[in-house]
Amino acid sequence: MDDLYLENIDEFINDHNRIVTYKWLSLTLGVHVNQAKQMLYHYLDHKRKESSASQLHATYLVSGKFVENGNTSHKVAVVREDQLEDVKSKMVLTVSVHVYSVQKAALKDSGPLYSTDYDAVKENLKNCCKYSAIRCACAAPVSSADEQWGQETTADPLPEPETRNPILNGSSPPAPSKATAKQPKGIMGMFNSKSATRTQDSGREVKTEQKEKTTAQETSKTKVAAKASAISNFFGKSAARSSKENSEKVIKEEIVVQTMRVSEEKSLGSHKAEVDVKEEEHKGSHTAGRKCKDGRSKVKRIEESDSEDEQFESQKKKRRRIKKPQPDSSDDEVIADSSPSHNVDTRTPSPENKVKKEPVSRAEEKTEGKRRKRRKVLKARTFVDEEGCMVTEKVYQSESFSDSDSDSRSGPQPTEQSGVQATLRKKEDEHRGQKRSPVPSGKATKQPSIMGFFQKK
Amino acid sequence: MTTLTRQDLNFGQVVADILCEFLEVAIHLILYVREVYPSGIFQKRKKYNVPVQMSCHPELNRYIQDTLHCVKPLIEKNDVEKVVVVIMDKDHHPVERFVFEISQPPLLSIRFVSMILNFYSDTLLSHVEQLLRAVILKISVCDAVLDNNPPGCTFTVLVHTREAATRNMEKIQVIKDFPWIVADEQEVHMREPRLIPLKTMTSDIVKMQLYVEERAQKAS
Repeated sequence: MDDLYLENIDEFINDHNRIVTYKWLSLTLGVHVNQAKQMLYHYLDHKRKESSASQLHATYLVSGKFVENGNTSHKVAVVREDQLEDVKSKMVLTVSVHVYSVQKAALKDSGPLYSTDYDAVKENLKNCCKYSAIRCACAAPVSSADEQWGQETTADPLPEPETRNPILNGSSPPAPSKATAKQPKGIMGMFNSKSATRTQDSGREVKTEQKEKTTAQETSKTKVAAKASAISNFFGKSAARSSKENSEKVIKEEIVVQTMRVSEEKSLGSHKAEVDVKEEEHKGSHTAGRKCKDGRSKVKRIEESDSEDEQFESQKKKRRRIKKPQPDSSDDEVIADSSPSHNVDTRTPSPENKVKKEPVSRAEEKTEGKRRKRRKVLKARTFVDEEGCMVTEKVYQSESFSDSDSDSRSGPQPTEQSGVQATLRKKEDEHRGQKRSPVPSGKATKQPSIMGFFQKK
Repeated sequence: MTTLTRQDLNFGQVVADILCEFLEVAIHLILYVREVYPSGIFQKRKKYNVPVQMSCHPELNRYIQDTLHCVKPLIEKNDVEKVVVVIMDKDHHPVERFVFEISQPPLLSIRFVSMILNFYSDTLLSHVEQLLRAVILKISVCDAVLDNNPPGCTFTVLVHTREAATRNMEKIQVIKDFPWIVADEQEVHMREPRLIPLKTMTSDIVKMQLYVEERAQKAS
């Protein structure tokens, strides 16, 4: 044997810090597996004799007859060097011992051994058994018709085989082959990656009688199926994550809407003004208003059987009906009570048609002609109470006003009656602030019609 | 100056997902191989089609996940220069630093690559998977080139960002409620380091280099 291989192995182990398994070596150098095993053995022997400073660790594959609790089985095990003698002594009959791998690192578990072979086998998928010692004349590739039939049937586990054939030693690769052993028609079982992984995990040490080609093909197909599942994991993770995020957003929106609704319901027995204010809050922002309606309708559906809810709705409706005929003080409230759809319509204004909603608690300008309107204004009222103390109270008073008065904004900032009202009022401010700007120009030109814009062109 | 489109950001998210998954596996494996925690808390799991060791301890897992959750937005914007897993002895002096240097291709080529990603995604991603598998394997055998650590070691994760990203870290702190602090000088720099390269990985979507800085004398 050419001694060049010793240098090759030395380079792999010391320079590249690889784990050199016999299978990887046979595929890399293109030699028969038995030759690769001997190469590794010679290398190890050579290095140990040299007693060079570099520390080498080896793993061995041991197979033989094993008796445990009266059950006889053929055990195949990959063991560390320090456990070798121990395992050999436990076996009734040792059929085969050979070097499995040589590496510098002291491996803590068998995972890296599998990883080492994985890519080498994957690259040589079509002919990974080219250098294998396991042969069976009866093994032949399956036709496509048989393939389909095999796919339909489920795989049955093979019975525990006895060591009938001493020529077949335990040199089959441990990790993937054990997986495939239990499936007689088994090629199709490989497409079921779940079963493949399950069988991989169990019974690595049990020897199975295998046909060489089925073993190799099953191994390759296990890897193909596993690879496909890994790729789908790549997509599946990001796709699942994005869909999860979307669903989380939807859920959050629904929760927000429903909490707003719940807060509305809690004020069932409270002052009507507060109720109206809260309705205004819901309509305060464009989108929130629409969603609230949807949310309201959703909650309505959900809580249909809730009598309290129904009462509340009927009371609101009743209030609406009562208010509508009253022209003066409740004009604002009429507008306030209108549904969000009306709200949206009125909010697409032409410059002269600016019907803004007025919350009960805020003063607002009216831009529809020069009508006298009543509005509720927050005014400070000072009086002496029972104890003789001067008390300043802010109350709402209705007063009439016209367009000429609307420029001077009356009404100091209201005190916070509730935190929710305050924050939503700010939102309304912003909306009104945006809309207020075209109003003065509209006044200056005496409310030009929308068609004037087109005529100028 | 090209502006980021939604497709670019999506691509950034894909790369960040891949990298964060990988870093999680790598951190667990480093803790296992370097015996920072007893091996009893680790169990064998499968990632990239090979067995890896992951911890079962919920606190440890949550800490690692939260850490990477905060790092992910930075990776999406390509603000991360390197992620370092520092193993420290009882006196909080670093004995080993596993440095993952990450770089992503510039924006102009991202669009080109994302087109490729759509057409040849299987091939590209399986290639990336193969490269990551190789890095994992190198971590598994790194104890051949490293000295043993003293007992009672702890670990921490440092993130080196590009300059503008430090402000974002404060934002992340507020949002995630997982405080990040500027690292101490003694955690960042090691006296008498020895550099041991482990693995370099080059792909179309990300480039990564893994090396270890080891203190010459570990037993203090």
